[in-house]
This record gives sequence, structure tokens and C-alpha cells, in this order.
Amino acid sequence: MSAIAPPVGTARPPTTAPTAQTPATAPKPPKKVGHDLSTKVLIGLVIALLLLLIGYPLARVLWNAFTADGRQVLSHIFSSDTSNPKVVLRTLILGLTVGSLGTVIGFLIAYAQVRLHYRGKKIVHLLALMPIVSPPFAVATATITLFGRRGLISHGLFGLSISPYGLGGLTFVLALSFFPVAYMNFKGMLEHLDPALDEAAQSLGARKWHIFWTVTLPMLVPGIAGSFLLLFVEAIADLANPLAIGGDYTVLASRAYIAITGEYNLSQGAAYSVVLLFPALLVFLVQRYWVSRKSVVAVTGKPAGKPQLVRSGVGRTVLLIVLGVFVALIVLMYGTVIVGGFIQSLGINNTWTLDNYRFILQGIGSEAMWKTTAMALVATPVAGVLGMLIAWMVVRKLRGSAAGAMDFIGMLGLAVPGVVVGIGYMTAYNKAFVHDGWQFFPALTGGRAIIGGALGIVLVYIIRSMPSGQRSGVAALQQIDPAIDEASTSLGASGLTTFRLITLPLIRPAFLSGLSYSFARSMTTLSPIIFITTPKTKIMTSQIFAEVDAGRFGHAFAYCTILIIIVMAVIGLINLVVRDRSPMANVGLGS
Amino acid sequence: MSSLPTPRTTTGHLQLTGLEKVFATKKGSFRALDRIDLDIAPGEFITLLGPSGCGKTTTLRIIAGFETPTGGDVVLDGDSIVTVTPEKRPMAMVFQSYALFPHMSVWDNVAYGLKLKKLPAADLKEQVESALTSMGLTQMKDRAPSQMSGGQQQRVALARAMVMRPKVLLFDEPLSNLDAKLRVAMRSEIRRLQKRLGITAVYVTHDQDEAMSMSDRIVVMNEGKVEQAASPAEVYRHPASVFVADFIGRANFLKVAQARPEGEGSARVAVLGAEVTTPAAPGATAGPCVLLVRPESVRLAPTDRAAIGGRVGRILSTVFFGESVEYVVESAEGNITAVEADPEVDKILEPGQMVEIGFGHERSWLLPAGGKEAYQD
Ligand SMILES: Nc1ncnc2c1ncn2[C@@H]1O[C@H](COP(=O)(O)OP(=O)(O)OP(=O)(O)O)[C@@H](O)[C@H]1O
Ligand SMILES: [Mg+2]
Repeated sequence: MSAIAPPVGTARPPTTAPTAQTPATAPKPPKKVGHDLSTKVLIGLVIALLLLLIGYPLARVLWNAFTADGRQVLSHIFSSDTSNPKVVLRTLILGLTVGSLGTVIGFLIAYAQVRLHYRGKKIVHLLALMPIVSPPFAVATATITLFGRRGLISHGLFGLSISPYGLGGLTFVLALSFFPVAYMNFKGMLEHLDPALDEAAQSLGARKWHIFWTVTLPMLVPGIAGSFLLLFVEAIADLANPLAIGGDYTVLASRAYIAITGEYNLSQGAAYSVVLLFPALLVFLVQRYWVSRKSVVAVTGKPAGKPQLVRSGVGRTVLLIVLGVFVALIVLMYGTVIVGGFIQSLGINNTWTLDNYRFILQGIGSEAMWKTTAMALVATPVAGVLGMLIAWMVVRKLRGSAAGAMDFIGMLGLAVPGVVVGIGYMTAYNKAFVHDGWQFFPALTGGRAIIGGALGIVLVYIIRSMPSGQRSGVAALQQIDPAIDEASTSLGASGLTTFRLITLPLIRPAFLSGLSYSFARSMTTLSPIIFITTPKTKIMTSQIFAEVDAGRFGHAFAYCTILIIIVMAVIGLINLVVRDRSPMANVGLGS
Repeated sequence: MSSLPTPRTTTGHLQLTGLEKVFATKKGSFRALDRIDLDIAPGEFITLLGPSGCGKTTTLRIIAGFETPTGGDVVLDGDSIVTVTPEKRPMAMVFQSYALFPHMSVWDNVAYGLKLKKLPAADLKEQVESALTSMGLTQMKDRAPSQMSGGQQQRVALARAMVMRPKVLLFDEPLSNLDAKLRVAMRSEIRRLQKRLGITAVYVTHDQDEAMSMSDRIVVMNEGKVEQAASPAEVYRHPASVFVADFIGRANFLKVAQARPEGEGSARVAVLGAEVTTPAAPGATAGPCVLLVRPESVRLAPTDRAAIGGRVGRILSTVFFGESVEYVVESAEGNITAVEADPEVDKILEPGQMVEIGFGHERSWLLPAGGKEAYQD
């Protein structure tokens, strides 16, 4: 053996006996190392904020639902002498149909995008993301205009007179509105599926279709289940479309809305929304903690190579035709929205006009436009930073059930249906908090609230849009070697310093997409907001709803177009402003 | 360069007393560390060596403060630091994955800790420059970590830790991602710097050569316990247990028919049909024992005897490695491995050849037989 260094200094003389002696006394249990002060304070602050943003409103809805009126609804929910069981059943059926159709559409497009060779992929991708940046009524009004009783296509082209109102139209519109969730889900999954698996199957002599059925599809089962469940939750929680195109197909969300705005029965509205809350939460939990754990794809990490793209074959042709129909449909929808804004009344009085835009840009519309944008702009950075903070705590600072609980409470803003959130805010924050003559904080929602109720709306925007940032933050953080955080700590940085100097810059892409998504979500949300808008704070989506309700589609189309333009412009701006210009920026997380 | 006088180190005296770590797992709990006692002198270079899962990383992370022990204490220069948060401990860690900050240049990486210390700009610049110079990184100070080779990245990681002048440097398998040549070069570089700065070092590895060539003392661990803590020579020549003997280097364990103590630290044993006197571990003769003979201590001589028995065996296989030749010999006591260094090519023995087995008695070592069953393959 080579160079043997002598012991240094007062090192214990070498012994031939093993040194693992038993100490005379049992070692005393040590105190916990714990977190440094800044981290502790931060965790406390975030917990307090989450309680304010979602915990208390949720508790209030539950409390309301269990008052006398509410209990009456709850007790009759399954009794056949009311219409309640029917409402529940219809809600669940809608969840099933939208979940299935949306998942199929999302999967087909994702598969075509990742595995087929064709031109124009980028455009198809952008078109597929359109529903994310557009307000809830765009697709519904376009559908009525195109395929309604006097629809441009159904009646004008084919002479049919079919009604778009009801389950059929609702499923069509919701599937078109929510499939991007499934599409993004599958796209990520297919891209991360190790092509070596396919290659292995191929080298064993399997043909493409056979590979698809025996290798690709089984690997995607958790993804399929996950997408279905996510869409299910979105569908049963949606309020805008059942109001616009549901006709007399009443679901729980619209029933709750009618109870509150039509019958002025708050407790009943709360009770209906609570009935909606449980399946939504249950499905969300199953999706998040059961399906995602079963996911094989997630753990295989970065793919080893690029999969071979399918360039020919019958399957490809069929899929491309489906894709073509889909693209045509999307273009048609948004084409209708854009063109419809410049026409008196599309399909009825087809004369060109600028009246719609004049109404919006000069009348009441412009106020809603500026205020909505301003409130969303205030909420977005807060939601973005909060989402990243929570993600960081969940992945790095908390362990075991504490991390799980924090993650779950953060995600509640997404999992809890908008109607529940709206009713919660309406009842929880419509009065000032006064205790022993001390006013802790003023009313946040309703007519007498501070800043005309704007603060309440901003808070709703924050809690509704924060979870998407949290989720992308968690995913990004899990990719970063924990040793990088530890290295920073070991060099003397506190938790907060590490977050600021190391973590945040490293998750910048996730942060950016979180910001963009937050803004889009704030601008397009309706179901929680509709309960807390005040005369002083007009919101674009609820203005659009009023126009649709009054049958003034021209106004609605113009509103939708402007909203889409605002969202796209701000997302572009966010990407410009927050972009990193330092030379290290493009180096990324390589190696 | 190496003629610089080694500073007399007075700080960095690290003591672990009765350290315990029990992890809560899904099925109850798992004891990763079981009463670890270690006394590490100021400026000492100590290596934790042991098979995968024996608790090396856990020990290191407890010292760094990233894990909380469930029992016992960590004492630095007389003060218990077990409740001190990691960023307040005067230690720096070098990670297996380097853990460089990917969004910062080499210079910014190295300056990171000093900036947090709010060092005056001039001092900071000087210290960072000198750290970069000593690691030969001056040319690359503006590069991003991803634009460097593994060896260069590890040098940055080293510079980043050293520039903090910590009392204790912690290494978790820092060289395991490098290729063999680079590993050897980095070993001496780390050792040189550690000696020059006089920093106490705790180094985790499962590479024996690394442990042997760098350490003042090697701590051999097994299943959360310390099997032996001693100088490399001691650990190799006088292992405390069959486990240590088997883990460090290669070993033949010969069955011992009878053994009786003969004076201090030696014993008379019957082995391979003959009686010999051998150095013995304390208490080895109290129970069942085995005789450790390293392959390079075994001598083979051709013989005409036809039957296996006593000292006579038959060669089963011969493998020529260039600088040495390795034989496996079938004997009455099982198979014995022998290594002959610098063999004469025309005197290499063929398989089937009968041989007489001998070994340098002063090089053998009598051990208690406890623990490991892996006597022979
Ligand atoms: N957080 C944890 N929860 C449960 N068990 C753990 C945890 N961390 C480590 N262990 C277990 O403790 C034991 C010691 O782990 P440790 O990482 O210290 O091993 P090691 O000696 O560094 O091994 P290697 O050479 O493979 O790095 C292992 O059996 C490991 O499975
Ligand atoms: Mg380890």
C-alpha cells in the first residue's frame, strides 16, 4: 500500500481495539436543529395568509350550509320529491361526458404533436392553447351563433334547426374549453416517455400499432386517469357555460347561483355549493395523491433521445384528418368571435359596424376593462411569488405530513369550485372584523367594502391563480439537486437568502409561466367573481355575461376579443420584462 | 510551494459522542447510526469508509447540521453545536454532485459565501482571486459551471469551500464522478490544500485507495457502527475485526485448529498442519478465531508431493496481470489466494501444479472469528 501519512497533532493514538465502545450513560436526547428565524417567520406568514385567503371563506360556506335553510337543502338532496337529485345527477353526467371527450381530444392532439411528422406544429400548438387565454363565454356564444337554431352553419348551410342548449351543447363547449389541460398533460408525458422503451419493443419485432397498444398506452394509463379527473372537476365546477348554453339543464353550480341571485337565499346557495365541493375535493384528492403516485412516466426523467416520428401510414392519415377537423373548429370559433365583434348581429343582421367597440372602449365597458386589468396585474405577482414560496417550502423546507398539508392547502384554491370560493368571500368578508371595539380589518367584499370591493376581488384572483404557479414551482424544484440549496446554507446563507439568491433564479422559467398563467386565469375567471362584483368594481367577465344574457352577442364578441388581446399582450410583456439578461441566463440548469 | 510551513492548528477539534440517528420509515423505524464515538483532532484528515448504506453520509450531514441526531452530541472546540443551524456552523461542505450554482459564474460561485459575510470589496476580491489562483482557475473565472469539465467543476467547488476558511471541511465522495486519472491527481491536491490551511477534514468515500492515500485516520463503519478507527497502516495490518480485514484490501482467512496466547499481543496457533507464532488482536484467543493472511504474504513453492493436505495444495488458476500474478490454490483449508509481485515470466506456475504453501508469520494476524462468514469463496 502507498503513502501512509502519520497521525497529526493530538489525534488519538491508533488502537487495535474497535472504538465503538458503549458509553457509560445513555446519550441525552438532543434538541431540534429546526429552521433559522427568517424561514420560521416566513412559514408562519404563509400559513396565516392561506388561512385568510381560503381557510376562513371555506369555513364560512360550510357554516352557512349547515344553518336551517341549508340543512333543509342538504337533507332533501337525495329525496325524490325535489329536483335536487336530478341536479346532482346532471352535474355528475356532465363531469363524465366532458372528462371523457376532453381527454380524448387532448390525447389525440398531444399524440399527433409528439409522435407524428407534419407541418405547422407550432400553429396547432398555439391554437390548442387559445381556450386558456380566452374568457369563458367566447366558445359558448360562437357555438350558439354557428350551430344554434338559426346558426350560420347548422341553419344557414344545412337548413337544420337544432337547439344547442342542454347537455349536448354544454359538453361540446366545455370539452373545447378545457381540453388544453389534458393536452398539456399528455404532451409533457409523451415527451418524457423514454423512446428507448419504444425502441426496445421495436427491436423485439413489434409493429408500430402493436407498440402503441402494448407499450405506450399502458404507460399512459395514470395520465389518462389524471386528465379525466382534472377535467371532471373543471366541468362540474364551471358556472359560466351552464348559464350561457345550459338552457334548462341545471347543474349544482348554476343552481347555487340561482338560489343566491334569484331567490336571495344565501344558505340554500351555500348548501348547493357544498354538495358540489365534496365530489370536487374527492376527485382532486384521488387525482393528486393516488393517480400521480402511480405515474410511471414521471420517474423516468429526461428522455434519452428523440422518438422516431411517424411519417406515413393509415393511422397517421386518420389522426391528421381528426386534427384538421379540430383545427378548423377552433379557427371557426375564434374567427366568429373576432368577426362577430365588427358586425351588428352576426347571423341576423350582417352589417359591418364599429358600434360594439365604441360601446366597450368609450362606455361602461372601458371602466370594466381598465379595472379588471389593473386588479389582475396587482394579483399576478403576488400569486406568482406566493406560489413559488409555497412550492419551495413544500419541496425543501417541510417534511412528511407538514409538507403534504401545506401543499394541499395551497392547492385548495384550485380544487375548491369557484362558486364555493365566491360564496365564501361574499359571506366571510362582507363585514368589518370588529372585536372588543377593535377593528382588525374592514369589509373586503360587497358594496360597503374598502376600495369598492376591489381588495376582495384581488384576493380571489390571488387564491385562484396561485396554485398553478405552486404546481409548476414544485415540479421545477424537484428537478434541482437539493445539494445546491445545502451548499448555499453551508456557505452561511439563511433560508430566505438562499431562496432569493439561488432558488428563485433557478426556477425562473416556472415562475414566468406561473405568472403568465396566473394573469390569464385572473382575467378569465367568472364563477367566484360574479358573487362579489360591486357597482364600483365592474369585471369584464361578468360584463360579458350580462351582454350574453341580454342577447347582445355583438358586444360580447367585442369584449372577448379585447380580453384575449389584453391577456396576450400582458403575457408577452411579462416575458419581456422578467427575462433575464445576464450572461448566465441561457446556460440554464444544464448537466 | 509545498515547502510552506504547516500552520499549527488549534481550532477544529470535533467530537462526536454517542451519536445516534433513527429514521422514521413507513414500517416503523430504521437505525442508521448506532452510538458513534469519534474524537477528531484539529487539522486531522479523517476518512469515513464503509459499504453502501453504512451511515457515512448520515454522519457527515449530522456534523454539517443538515440532519438532527436522535441521540448524542456534536462538539466543536468544546462547545456543543447540535442545536446550531447549518449556516451558522463554521464548516463548509463539498458535495459529490459539486452543487455549483448553475446561474452564477465561477467567480460569483467562489465569492458567494464571502459576500454573505459582508466582507469589504477589496478583501473579497483578493481572497477570491487567491483561491482561484491556488486551484488554477484564474483563466476560467467568467465561465458558467456548465461550460466546464467535471474536474474543473470540482475544483471550483473546492475553492468555494476553502475560501471560507472553515474550521472543518466536509467532503461527501467528492471525486466519485471523476475518471480514474483525475481522481488520483485531485486526491493529492485536496490533501495538499487541507494541510497547508490546517483545516480539519472529514472525508466520506467508499474508495479504499482514496482512504488509504489521503487519511491520517480511517474510520471503518458497518451498519451504523464504527468497526475501527485507526491509521491506514493499522487498519490494513491489524484490523479489529474480520469485517474490517475483509473490507480493506484482500484477505485469506485460515481456519485455526487451536490457539493459545503467548506473551503480549501474540499467540501460538496450529494452521495448515503446523504450529506457528503470530501477532494477535487483543482477546483473539478467548474464543473461536481465524488467521488473516494477505495474498501478497503467501509464498508458493513447487513440490513433488501428490496429495493435498497440510501445507500442500494444488494450483487451480493462474492470472497474469503484468506487474503481478495471482494464483488460487486449493488446500485442505479451502481455497487460498496468493499474489506474487514482479513475477519472473518463465517461473510462473501452471494450474495443476502441486505447491507448498507458506507465509511470513510476522505478517499474519490472529482475529476473533465473530461476525462475518465469508471465509473463503
Ligand atoms: N431520510 C431517510 N429516511 C430513512 N432512511 C434513511 C434516510 N436517509 C438515509 N437512510 C438510511 O440510512 C442508512 C445510511 O444511509 P447513508 O446515506 O448514511 O449511507 P452511506 O454510508 O452514505 O451509503 P453510500 O455509500 O451508498 O452513500 C441507509 O440504509 C439509508 O437507507
Ligand atoms: Mg453516501
